[in-house]
Amino acid sequence: MARLVPTAEMTLGPFFPREFAEGQNDLTDGGKAKGELIEIVGRVTQSDGKPLDNLVLEIWQADAAGRFDNAAFAGWGRAATDAQGNYRFRTIKPGAAPGRAPHVNFLLLYSGLMKHLQTVMFFGDTADPVLDAVSISRRKLLVGKADGNTWRFDIRLRGDGETPFFED
Amino acid sequence: MAPTLIERRDPLTQAEGVVQGYAQTARRWPAQPLQRRPQTAAELSGPSALAQRLAGGQPIAASSGDIAGRGEKRAIGQLMHLRVRVVDEDGVPLAGMPVEIWHCNAAGKYIHPNDDHDAPRDPNFYGAARLLTGDGGLVELRSIKPAAYPVPDTAGWWRPPHVHFSVWGRVWLSRLVTQMFFPGEPLNESDAILNAVRDPAARARCIARLAPSTGNALVFEHQIVVRGRKAAAPM
Repeated sequence: MARLVPTAEMTLGPFFPREFAEGQNDLTDGGKAKGELIEIVGRVTQSDGKPLDNLVLEIWQADAAGRFDNAAFAGWGRAATDAQGNYRFRTIKPGAAPGRAPHVNFLLLYSGLMKHLQTVMFFGDTADPVLDAVSISRRKLLVGKADGNTWRFDIRLRGDGETPFFED
Repeated sequence: MAPTLIERRDPLTQAEGVVQGYAQTARRWPAQPLQRRPQTAAELSGPSALAQRLAGGQPIAASSGDIAGRGEKRAIGQLMHLRVRVVDEDGVPLAGMPVEIWHCNAAGKYIHPNDDHDAPRDPNFYGAARLLTGDGGLVELRSIKPAAYPVPDTAGWWRPPHVHFSVWGRVWLSRLVTQMFFPGEPLNESDAILNAVRDPAARARCIARLAPSTGNALVFEHQIVVRGRKAAAPM
Protein backbone atom coordinates (compact mmCIF):
# COMPACT_ATOMS: atom_id res chain seq x y z
CA MET A 1 0.00 0.00 0.00
CA ALA A 2 1.35 3.38 -0.94
CA ARG A 3 2.38 5.37 2.08
CA LEU A 4 0.68 8.74 2.44
CA VAL A 5 2.94 11.74 3.05
CA PRO A 6 2.14 13.71 6.22
CA THR A 7 0.42 17.00 5.39
CA ALA A 8 2.66 20.09 5.46
CA GLU A 9 2.43 22.04 8.68
CA MET A 10 1.66 25.71 8.23
CA THR A 11 1.81 28.71 10.47
CA LEU A 12 -0.95 29.24 13.04
CA GLY A 13 -1.14 32.87 11.96
CA PRO A 14 -1.86 35.76 14.32
CA PHE A 15 -5.61 35.21 14.67
CA PHE A 16 -6.08 31.91 16.50
CA PRO A 17 -9.56 32.31 18.00
CA ARG A 18 -9.50 33.62 21.58
CA GLU A 19 -12.13 31.10 22.67
CA PHE A 20 -9.84 28.26 21.55
CA ALA A 21 -6.88 29.67 23.44
CA GLU A 22 -8.55 30.36 26.77
CA GLY A 23 -9.64 28.25 29.72
CA GLN A 24 -7.19 25.39 29.36
CA ASN A 25 -4.15 26.48 31.33
CA ASP A 26 -5.20 24.82 34.59
CA LEU A 27 -4.25 21.14 34.44
CA THR A 28 -5.22 20.53 38.07
CA ASP A 29 -9.01 20.63 37.73
CA GLY A 30 -9.17 23.52 40.16
CA GLY A 31 -6.46 22.20 42.46
CA LYS A 32 -7.89 18.70 42.79
CA ALA A 33 -5.08 16.84 41.02
CA LYS A 34 -2.84 14.71 43.23
CA GLY A 35 0.68 16.02 43.68
CA GLU A 36 2.64 19.19 44.37
CA LEU A 37 0.73 22.14 42.94
CA ILE A 38 2.94 24.47 40.94
CA GLU A 39 2.67 27.28 38.45
CA ILE A 40 4.79 27.52 35.33
CA VAL A 41 5.15 31.07 34.05
CA GLY A 42 7.30 32.70 31.41
CA ARG A 43 7.71 35.30 28.75
CA VAL A 44 8.15 34.55 25.06
CA THR A 45 10.29 36.92 22.99
CA GLN A 46 11.65 37.16 19.45
CA SER A 47 15.15 38.05 18.16
CA ASP A 48 14.97 41.76 19.06
CA GLY A 49 13.64 40.99 22.54
CA LYS A 50 10.11 42.07 21.69
CA PRO A 51 7.47 40.07 23.59
CA LEU A 52 5.00 38.11 21.48
CA ASP A 53 1.23 38.51 21.85
CA ASN A 54 -1.26 35.65 21.33
CA LEU A 55 1.40 32.99 20.82
CA VAL A 56 -0.07 29.59 21.67
CA LEU A 57 1.73 27.14 23.96
CA GLU A 58 0.60 23.57 24.52
CA ILE A 59 2.11 21.35 27.20
CA TRP A 60 2.19 17.62 27.82
CA GLN A 61 3.43 16.06 31.04
CA ALA A 62 3.29 13.05 33.31
CA ASP A 63 1.39 12.92 36.61
CA ALA A 64 3.09 13.02 40.01
CA ALA A 65 3.94 9.31 39.68
CA GLY A 66 5.55 9.75 36.26
CA ARG A 67 2.65 8.24 34.27
CA PHE A 68 1.48 9.82 31.02
CA ASP A 69 -2.19 9.93 30.03
CA ASN A 70 -4.09 8.44 32.93
CA ALA A 71 -7.73 9.00 33.83
CA ALA A 72 -7.04 11.01 36.99
CA PHE A 73 -4.68 13.52 35.37
CA ALA A 74 -4.93 14.40 31.70
CA GLY A 75 -1.53 16.13 31.61
CA TRP A 76 -2.40 18.41 28.68
CA GLY A 77 -2.84 22.17 28.70
CA ARG A 78 -2.88 25.21 26.46
CA ALA A 79 -2.19 28.87 27.11
CA ALA A 80 -1.75 31.98 24.99
CA THR A 81 0.63 34.83 25.73
CA ASP A 82 -0.77 38.24 26.65
CA ALA A 83 0.34 41.53 25.09
CA GLN A 84 3.45 41.48 27.33
CA GLY A 85 4.39 38.01 26.08
CA ASN A 86 3.55 36.28 29.36
CA TYR A 87 1.97 32.86 29.75
CA ARG A 88 0.90 30.92 32.84
CA PHE A 89 0.02 27.31 33.57
CA ARG A 90 -1.28 25.85 36.81
CA THR A 91 -0.28 22.22 37.12
CA ILE A 92 1.42 19.65 39.35
CA LYS A 93 5.09 18.84 39.41
CA PRO A 94 5.51 15.76 37.22
CA GLY A 95 7.21 12.65 38.51
CA ALA A 96 10.01 10.85 36.67
CA ALA A 97 8.79 8.55 33.90
CA PRO A 98 10.93 5.44 33.34
CA GLY A 99 14.27 6.55 31.91
CA ARG A 100 13.36 10.24 32.05
CA ALA A 101 13.92 13.11 34.45
CA PRO A 102 10.80 15.09 35.47
CA HIS A 103 9.94 17.46 32.65
CA VAL A 104 7.18 19.29 30.80
CA ASN A 105 6.96 19.11 26.98
CA PHE A 106 6.17 22.41 25.24
CA LEU A 107 4.86 23.05 21.74
CA LEU A 108 4.73 26.61 20.33
CA LEU A 109 2.48 27.85 17.54
CA TYR A 110 2.59 31.36 16.08
CA SER A 111 2.70 33.55 13.01
CA GLY A 112 6.22 33.52 11.58
CA LEU A 113 6.67 29.90 12.65
CA MET A 114 6.19 27.83 9.50
CA LYS A 115 5.77 24.79 11.69
CA HIS A 116 5.40 24.42 15.43
CA LEU A 117 8.45 24.44 17.68
CA GLN A 118 9.06 21.79 20.35
CA THR A 119 10.99 22.36 23.54
CA VAL A 120 11.15 20.88 27.06
CA MET A 121 11.32 22.38 30.53
CA PHE A 122 13.26 20.48 33.21
CA PHE A 123 13.20 20.98 36.98
CA GLY A 124 16.95 20.62 37.40
CA ASP A 125 20.08 19.84 35.40
CA THR A 126 19.81 16.08 35.83
CA ALA A 127 20.63 13.16 33.55
CA ASP A 128 17.98 12.76 30.87
CA PRO A 129 18.25 11.41 27.30
CA VAL A 130 16.53 14.45 25.81
CA LEU A 131 18.45 17.03 27.88
CA ASP A 132 21.66 15.14 27.10
CA ALA A 133 20.95 15.61 23.36
CA VAL A 134 21.55 19.34 23.87
CA SER A 135 25.08 20.78 24.05
CA ILE A 136 26.31 21.23 27.64
CA SER A 137 26.53 25.02 27.33
CA ARG A 138 22.86 25.34 26.34
CA ARG A 139 21.29 22.86 28.79
CA LYS A 140 20.72 25.52 31.44
CA LEU A 141 18.32 27.23 29.02
CA LEU A 142 15.96 24.26 29.44
CA VAL A 143 15.97 24.31 33.26
CA GLY A 144 13.20 26.27 34.97
CA LYS A 145 13.94 28.59 37.88
CA ALA A 146 11.95 28.09 41.07
CA ASP A 147 10.56 30.85 43.28
CA GLY A 148 8.49 29.01 45.88
CA ASN A 149 5.93 27.00 43.94
CA THR A 150 6.31 29.11 40.81
CA TRP A 151 8.67 27.92 38.11
CA ARG A 152 9.83 30.42 35.50
CA PHE A 153 10.57 29.20 31.99
CA ASP A 154 11.24 32.09 29.60
CA ILE A 155 11.44 31.24 25.93
CA ARG A 156 13.54 33.12 23.37
CA LEU A 157 12.66 32.03 19.85
CA ARG A 158 15.80 33.44 18.25
CA GLY A 159 18.88 35.43 19.18
CA ASP A 160 20.64 35.98 22.53
CA GLY A 161 19.88 33.14 24.93
CA GLU A 162 17.94 31.29 22.24
CA THR A 163 15.97 28.38 23.70
CA PRO A 164 17.00 24.98 22.34
CA PHE A 165 14.29 23.45 20.15
CA PHE A 166 13.89 19.88 18.94
CA GLU A 167 13.44 18.31 15.53
CA ASP A 168 11.14 15.29 15.47
CA MET B 1 17.57 3.76 22.54
CA ALA B 2 13.88 3.20 21.88
CA PRO B 3 12.82 2.61 18.27
CA THR B 4 11.77 5.63 16.23
CA LEU B 5 8.03 5.08 15.97
CA ILE B 6 7.25 8.49 14.52
CA GLU B 7 9.10 8.70 11.24
CA ARG B 8 10.90 11.84 10.14
CA ARG B 9 9.30 13.80 7.32
CA ASP B 10 10.86 14.62 3.97
CA PRO B 11 11.87 18.31 4.36
CA LEU B 12 10.78 18.98 0.77
CA THR B 13 7.19 18.24 1.81
CA GLN B 14 7.33 20.64 4.77
CA ALA B 15 8.13 24.29 5.35
CA GLU B 16 10.47 25.64 8.02
CA GLY B 17 13.05 28.28 8.69
CA VAL B 18 13.30 31.80 7.35
CA VAL B 19 11.05 32.34 4.35
CA GLN B 20 11.69 35.09 1.82
CA GLY B 21 8.84 37.58 1.69
CA TYR B 22 7.63 36.64 5.19
CA ALA B 23 9.63 38.99 7.41
CA GLN B 24 8.44 37.64 10.76
CA THR B 25 10.13 34.31 10.11
CA ALA B 26 13.54 36.04 10.33
CA ARG B 27 12.76 37.29 13.84
CA ARG B 28 11.13 34.13 15.14
CA TRP B 29 12.57 30.97 13.62
CA PRO B 30 15.53 29.72 15.71
CA ALA B 31 18.99 30.54 14.36
CA GLN B 32 20.40 27.35 15.90
CA PRO B 33 19.63 24.05 14.18
CA LEU B 34 16.81 22.02 15.70
CA GLN B 35 18.18 19.28 17.93
CA ARG B 36 17.25 15.65 17.29
CA ARG B 37 16.13 13.71 20.35
CA PRO B 38 15.22 10.13 21.21
CA GLN B 39 11.53 9.16 21.29
CA THR B 40 10.44 8.11 24.76
CA ALA B 41 7.14 7.60 26.60
CA ALA B 42 6.65 11.38 26.60
CA GLU B 43 6.76 11.85 22.84
CA LEU B 44 4.93 8.59 22.12
CA SER B 45 1.87 9.18 24.27
CA GLY B 46 -0.88 11.76 24.17
CA PRO B 47 -4.02 12.88 25.99
CA SER B 48 -6.85 10.45 25.20
CA ALA B 49 -9.40 12.70 26.94
CA LEU B 50 -8.70 15.77 24.83
CA ALA B 51 -12.24 16.05 23.44
CA GLN B 52 -13.47 16.47 27.02
CA ARG B 53 -10.77 18.94 28.06
CA LEU B 54 -10.57 21.25 25.07
CA ALA B 55 -13.89 23.02 25.42
CA GLY B 56 -13.77 23.38 29.21
CA GLY B 57 -16.20 20.75 30.46
CA GLN B 58 -18.31 20.96 27.32
CA PRO B 59 -17.19 17.86 25.42
CA ILE B 60 -16.83 18.17 21.68
CA ALA B 61 -19.16 15.58 20.19
CA ALA B 62 -20.49 16.65 16.79
CA SER B 63 -18.72 15.66 13.59
CA SER B 64 -20.58 18.27 11.57
CA GLY B 65 -21.27 21.95 12.07
CA ASP B 66 -22.75 25.01 10.44
CA ILE B 67 -21.21 28.48 10.76
CA ALA B 68 -22.78 29.89 7.59
CA GLY B 69 -25.04 32.11 9.63
CA ARG B 70 -26.40 32.79 13.08
CA GLY B 71 -29.98 31.82 13.64
CA GLU B 72 -32.10 32.89 10.71
CA LYS B 73 -29.50 35.32 9.39
CA ARG B 74 -27.17 34.13 6.66
CA ALA B 75 -23.54 35.15 6.64
CA ILE B 76 -22.47 37.12 3.56
CA GLY B 77 -20.60 35.10 0.98
CA GLN B 78 -20.56 32.01 -1.20
CA LEU B 79 -21.93 29.02 0.70
CA MET B 80 -19.51 26.14 0.95
CA HIS B 81 -19.58 22.68 2.42
CA LEU B 82 -16.24 21.30 3.64
CA ARG B 83 -15.75 17.56 3.90
CA VAL B 84 -12.40 16.89 5.54
CA ARG B 85 -10.92 13.52 6.41
CA VAL B 86 -8.15 12.95 8.97
CA VAL B 87 -6.05 9.82 8.36
CA ASP B 88 -2.63 8.44 9.27
CA GLU B 89 0.18 7.64 6.79
CA ASP B 90 -1.45 4.28 6.04
CA GLY B 91 -4.71 6.00 5.17
CA VAL B 92 -6.34 4.62 8.32
CA PRO B 93 -9.08 7.06 9.40
CA LEU B 94 -8.65 8.64 12.82
CA ALA B 95 -12.05 8.69 14.54
CA GLY B 96 -12.86 10.57 17.73
CA MET B 97 -10.21 13.25 17.21
CA PRO B 98 -10.86 16.94 17.90
CA VAL B 99 -10.52 19.29 14.93
CA GLU B 100 -10.36 23.07 15.30
CA ILE B 101 -11.27 25.13 12.25
CA TRP B 102 -11.11 28.90 11.73
CA HIS B 103 -11.17 31.28 8.79
CA CYS B 104 -11.91 34.89 7.89
CA ASN B 105 -15.20 36.20 6.51
CA ALA B 106 -16.17 37.00 2.92
CA ALA B 107 -14.49 40.41 3.26
CA GLY B 108 -11.18 39.01 4.53
CA LYS B 109 -11.72 39.90 8.22
CA TYR B 110 -11.09 37.54 11.16
CA ILE B 111 -13.18 37.55 14.33
CA HIS B 112 -9.99 38.07 16.36
CA PRO B 113 -9.74 41.48 18.11
CA ASN B 114 -6.10 41.77 16.95
CA ASP B 115 -7.19 41.86 13.29
CA ASP B 116 -7.01 45.58 12.44
CA HIS B 117 -7.47 45.03 8.69
CA ASP B 118 -9.77 47.72 7.30
CA ALA B 119 -12.53 45.35 6.23
CA PRO B 120 -16.05 44.99 7.64
CA ARG B 121 -17.11 42.44 10.19
CA ASP B 122 -20.12 40.30 9.40
CA PRO B 123 -22.44 40.19 12.43
CA ASN B 124 -23.89 36.90 11.19
CA PHE B 125 -20.57 35.13 10.78
CA TYR B 126 -18.46 33.61 13.53
CA GLY B 127 -15.44 32.03 11.88
CA ALA B 128 -14.49 29.26 14.29
CA ALA B 129 -15.73 25.73 14.98
CA ARG B 130 -14.66 22.70 16.98
CA LEU B 131 -15.66 19.28 15.73
CA LEU B 132 -14.86 15.65 16.51
CA THR B 133 -13.98 13.27 13.68
CA GLY B 134 -16.63 10.61 13.15
CA ASP B 135 -16.30 7.17 11.64
CA GLY B 136 -14.09 7.43 8.63
CA GLY B 137 -12.12 10.27 10.24
CA LEU B 138 -14.56 12.73 8.73
CA VAL B 139 -15.69 16.20 9.78
CA GLU B 140 -18.10 18.32 7.78
CA LEU B 141 -18.62 22.04 8.04
CA ARG B 142 -21.09 24.32 6.28
CA SER B 143 -19.69 27.81 6.04
CA ILE B 144 -19.03 30.63 3.61
CA LYS B 145 -15.94 30.83 1.46
CA PRO B 146 -13.28 33.08 3.03
CA ALA B 147 -11.82 35.95 1.00
CA ALA B 148 -8.23 36.92 0.24
CA TYR B 149 -6.76 39.70 2.39
CA PRO B 150 -3.61 41.86 2.43
CA VAL B 151 -0.91 41.00 4.98
CA PRO B 152 0.02 44.12 7.01
CA ASP B 153 3.47 45.68 6.53
CA THR B 154 4.27 43.72 3.39
CA ALA B 155 4.81 44.93 -0.13
CA GLY B 156 1.45 43.94 -1.52
CA TRP B 157 1.33 40.34 -0.29
CA TRP B 158 -2.24 39.10 -0.34
CA ARG B 159 -3.02 35.77 1.29
CA PRO B 160 -5.13 33.54 -0.96
CA PRO B 161 -8.41 32.31 0.56
CA HIS B 162 -7.61 29.57 3.08
CA VAL B 163 -9.00 27.72 6.09
CA HIS B 164 -6.94 26.95 9.21
CA PHE B 165 -7.02 23.44 10.70
CA SER B 166 -5.68 22.24 14.04
CA VAL B 167 -5.72 18.46 14.41
CA TRP B 168 -4.36 15.76 16.68
CA GLY B 169 -3.26 12.20 16.09
CA ARG B 170 -2.44 9.23 18.26
CA VAL B 171 0.50 10.77 20.13
CA TRP B 172 2.14 14.09 21.07
CA LEU B 173 4.35 14.05 17.97
CA SER B 174 1.30 13.66 15.70
CA ARG B 175 0.15 17.23 16.38
CA LEU B 176 -0.54 19.14 13.17
CA VAL B 177 -1.67 22.69 12.43
CA THR B 178 -2.08 23.49 8.78
CA GLN B 179 -4.04 25.49 6.21
CA MET B 180 -6.34 24.33 3.41
CA PHE B 181 -6.36 26.26 0.14
CA PHE B 182 -8.95 26.44 -2.66
CA PRO B 183 -8.48 25.17 -6.21
CA GLY B 184 -8.07 27.61 -9.07
CA GLU B 185 -7.12 30.64 -6.96
CA PRO B 186 -4.53 32.81 -8.78
CA LEU B 187 -3.04 33.94 -5.45
CA ASN B 188 -2.06 30.32 -4.67
CA GLU B 189 0.80 30.72 -7.16
CA SER B 190 2.52 33.51 -5.23
CA ASP B 191 1.64 32.88 -1.57
CA ALA B 192 4.79 32.88 0.59
CA ILE B 193 3.29 30.34 2.99
CA LEU B 194 1.97 27.76 0.52
CA ASN B 195 5.05 28.06 -1.70
CA ALA B 196 7.45 27.57 1.21
CA VAL B 197 6.61 23.88 0.69
CA ARG B 198 9.08 23.05 -2.07
CA ASP B 199 7.63 19.78 -3.37
CA PRO B 200 4.85 20.65 -5.89
CA ALA B 201 2.94 17.45 -5.11
CA ALA B 202 2.98 18.28 -1.38
CA ARG B 203 1.72 21.78 -2.17
CA ALA B 204 -1.04 20.34 -4.35
CA ARG B 205 -2.17 18.18 -1.43
CA CYS B 206 -2.80 21.36 0.58
CA ILE B 207 -5.41 22.43 -1.98
CA ALA B 208 -8.93 21.07 -1.60
CA ARG B 209 -10.81 19.35 -4.40
CA LEU B 210 -14.04 20.77 -5.75
CA ALA B 211 -16.58 17.96 -5.62
CA PRO B 212 -19.85 17.65 -7.53
CA SER B 213 -22.78 19.31 -5.82
CA THR B 214 -26.51 19.24 -6.29
CA GLY B 215 -27.26 22.02 -3.82
CA ASN B 216 -26.41 25.71 -3.63
CA ALA B 217 -23.13 25.29 -1.77
CA LEU B 218 -19.72 24.63 -3.29
CA VAL B 219 -18.52 21.27 -1.93
CA PHE B 220 -14.82 20.98 -1.14
CA GLU B 221 -13.17 17.71 -0.14
CA HIS B 222 -9.84 17.56 1.61
CA GLN B 223 -7.60 15.05 3.36
CA ILE B 224 -5.22 15.73 6.24
CA VAL B 225 -2.51 13.14 6.96
CA VAL B 226 -1.06 13.05 10.48
CA ARG B 227 1.93 11.04 11.66
CA GLY B 228 1.66 8.08 13.98
CA ARG B 229 0.80 4.95 11.99
CA LYS B 230 3.10 2.88 14.19
CA ALA B 231 1.85 4.39 17.44
CA ALA B 232 -0.58 1.84 18.81
CA ALA B 233 -2.54 3.62 21.51
CA PRO B 234 -5.16 6.12 20.36
CA MET B 235 -4.55 9.64 21.63
